[in-house]
Amino acid sequence: MPWYFYLALKQLFPAGRRLPFFTLISVAGVGLGVALMLVSTSVMGGFGYQIKRMIIDTQGEVQIRGRGPIEATAAMEQAIARVPAVAAAAPYAQGVVMLEFNRRPAFPTIQGFALERMRQVIPLERYLIAGAWSELDDDAVILSSLLANSLGVNVGDLVSVYSPLMLERMKAQEVLLPRAVRVAGIFQIGHQQLDSSTVLCSLRLMQDLYGMDQLIHGYNVRLQPGADPDVAVAALNAVLPPVARALTWFEANADFQAVISFERNMIFFLLTFIIVVAAFSITSSLLVTVVRKTREIGLLGAMGGSARQVALCFCAQGLLIGVGGTLGGLGLGFTLLHYRNALVQFIASLTMGPEVFAKFYQFNSLPAHTESKDVIIIIVFSILAATLAGLIPAWRAAKLKPVEALRSE
Amino acid sequence: MSNPVTILRAAGLRKNYPSGDRTLAVLQGVDFSVSAGETVSVRGESGSGKSTLLNILAGLDRSEAGELWWGAEAAHQLSLAELTARRGRYLGMVFQSYYLIPELDAYANILMAARLVGRVGPAEKARVTQLLERVGLGERGHHLPSQLSGGERQRVAVARALLNRPAVILADEPTGNLDEATGDGIIELLVSACAEAQAALVLVTHNVAHAKKTQRQLHLQGGRFA
Repeated sequence: MPWYFYLALKQLFPAGRRLPFFTLISVAGVGLGVALMLVSTSVMGGFGYQIKRMIIDTQGEVQIRGRGPIEATAAMEQAIARVPAVAAAAPYAQGVVMLEFNRRPAFPTIQGFALERMRQVIPLERYLIAGAWSELDDDAVILSSLLANSLGVNVGDLVSVYSPLMLERMKAQEVLLPRAVRVAGIFQIGHQQLDSSTVLCSLRLMQDLYGMDQLIHGYNVRLQPGADPDVAVAALNAVLPPVARALTWFEANADFQAVISFERNMIFFLLTFIIVVAAFSITSSLLVTVVRKTREIGLLGAMGGSARQVALCFCAQGLLIGVGGTLGGLGLGFTLLHYRNALVQFIASLTMGPEVFAKFYQFNSLPAHTESKDVIIIIVFSILAATLAGLIPAWRAAKLKPVEALRSE
Repeated sequence: MSNPVTILRAAGLRKNYPSGDRTLAVLQGVDFSVSAGETVSVRGESGSGKSTLLNILAGLDRSEAGELWWGAEAAHQLSLAELTARRGRYLGMVFQSYYLIPELDAYANILMAARLVGRVGPAEKARVTQLLERVGLGERGHHLPSQLSGGERQRVAVARALLNRPAVILADEPTGNLDEATGDGIIELLVSACAEAQAALVLVTHNVAHAKKTQRQLHLQGGRFA
């Protein structure tokens, strides 16, 4: 081991002595910065990842949207099926209805699926918490959990459905009779917005409610494992008629994804300043060390240590603080991430309460998704910042002439 | 009988320091040489230029005129960086204030001399143990400088100076911070250890009795040897 690295190690972590206060503070500063960056990027990544998973689970990886209601022709379905990346596709139609049960109204979004085909595309069974998918027919619906709660509906109850088509009929002085449907099941996805206002039904029922006859709004598409959604979309758009267009799940929710990505990047950017501040603190402390150890620096020169090696000794101290702080920070960060839900529930119980948290933040638990790319960026940035923090002290130390340093008081 | 090899030689050394609007001529053409294994003392009043001379001999400082030879090598023609690169192997230095590294124990402080010249192996480690025994600190190798007395610290410094088997030891008032008895012991140690290691010794001191322990005594006065 080169002497300057050995001495840097010994000065920061002397054997047989307590850890110097400077080392402790410097390592803790970098560590806190790293932990905060890791936690914040992971949680923001978790929001993004969870939203992506929910979007794919509820829409498929690719969605074909009509420029208005379109006809599900055999030719179009054959064209879709011929694209190699497509594993399955299922038609859908969607809209808004009024739901009523025991004089309690609600205005959820309703999505109608071709049931058997939809099961090949979207794993909705995964989210069912009551009832059974097999019970879903053209006279039944499946409600999201919070919607069912707000209406006080249980599996087997009959709920009344009013659609915009009925309003048209009302204008024509027709008798307005709601469609009574049975609740076949209740699902819970884990996203506040979807869980509070979604109704799933058969495509036939949806077409009846909206008077769409055989028309649909589009297709949800599942891709072959490992298929690139962008490539698949390009292939689909090449064969689709002009009335329909394929989009990846990302394109279909581009605005939302952009907001998540922007927030994540901004938080990352702001938190880098914690490490920059820690780096300034390292610089300041090492400069004091250079002054305090002037005669030792002179001695090293007198014993054959070059100015470059003396400088490297201080850079190495910055590097070691960076490595120590980064390792400690990663440990702290991953621990915080592991216990994040307990921590959030504890903080929420002290402030607003867990229910309010779920209401405003859309999730029942705090998601986290750590990408190795982010961890690498954090590691490189923090170690680099700490090492660079040693540059000014290193330069000052290298400038000292041994003969003057030895003479200093 | 062959002539002893000159291992350190200076000729016509001149050094001035600015002092207000005047120039203080500290060295005015000093000639100096020391042979292998020889011990030489340099005495003089405070400010007579003893330490300046030692620093120039060690290549830590530059003279304004004159020549400096480390053995056959013209040290006055080398840059400070080149001198630094050679110093650790050719010279050992002992200072009044010991200058031990507080974070390292006695053993590691001595071994640091070998680390600085990039030569740390089993032989060097064994020699550190030998030197610790030689300076009477065989059982204190794992003690930090703060756990040693002044005399013990200076013994560690002497061992450190000897580790790389230098041709010459330059000692700048090594007893200046010690009581008389401890100081006497350090000088005895320096002289005998240098003799065993066949290293020359240049001892800068105020103390006449210590100077008399060396083979040759020089007195620096008015910028020249009297």
